[in-house]
Amino acid sequence: MTATSDPHEQLRSRLWHTINERYPGSMITRDEAVPLAPVTKPLERCRLTFVSTAGVQPKGTTPFDTVHPIGDYTYRRVPSSARPSELEIHQIKFPTIGARRDLNVIFPIERLQELVTEGHLGGLTADFFTFVGYNMDPDRVERDLAVQIADAVVDQRADIALMCPA
Amino acid sequence: MSVEYLKQALAMGDAEKLIRFVRLHLGDGNESVGRREIDKAWIEALKLLLDVPPTDRDFILATIRHRDAATLAHLFFQLHFFFVRRSGEWIHDGDL
Repeated sequence: MTATSDPHEQLRSRLWHTINERYPGSMITRDEAVPLAPVTKPLERCRLTFVSTAGVQPKGTTPFDTVHPIGDYTYRRVPSSARPSELEIHQIKFPTIGARRDLNVIFPIERLQELVTEGHLGGLTADFFTFVGYNMDPDRVERDLAVQIADAVVDQRADIALMCPA
Repeated sequence: MSVEYLKQALAMGDAEKLIRFVRLHLGDGNESVGRREIDKAWIEALKLLLDVPPTDRDFILATIRHRDAATLAHLFFQLHFFFVRRSGEWIHDGDL
């Protein structure tokens, strides 16, 4: 909970300092790591995809399940050509005051479109991918959701992926 | 709290851990806030029934009779947020 009425007080003070106390077992550590795939060509020739936990979705699509105590393990496709006015956020676990003013602060879709227009990036995948970061079953995320999104990213022939937690 | 943590608590019969999780979930990480949120939802539901308005009891009974328990549990959480929203005092950062 944060002070939603005061835009200057939207950050959760010391949130991460208390996360293990408040949500025991929710912070996971991994001994092994998936090696990063090296970029094999210049960015101006790369097709980028964007994966976000911000809970952003096209208006009119089934809202993310923000009430389920264990979390929502589905994802939504967001057309990379979409305008912010065509999108909305369904989640209750992070402050959205700034995002309601300018979605790009949490989901920089227009900035990425501009990078393509200006020639810094080769292009964008047809879709971006979003889900809700709140979940209590990281194994299910890894086993199901992450695999589904990874498959979709591969299908769209992304060269690079920008991954952004909300 | 991970689902593994909750399952262990359930296996151990540790109700305190389970209800603490519910309060944390409903209170966005603040247990005392979550407790108040639970109270708020019940008060809002009670307010709506004080004048004994007509309600669709057939719907209620049919829903309970024909829907699986997990769906009803999901509905239970949805109703909590519905009544909290209806109370006009929304503490959460985002929206449903």
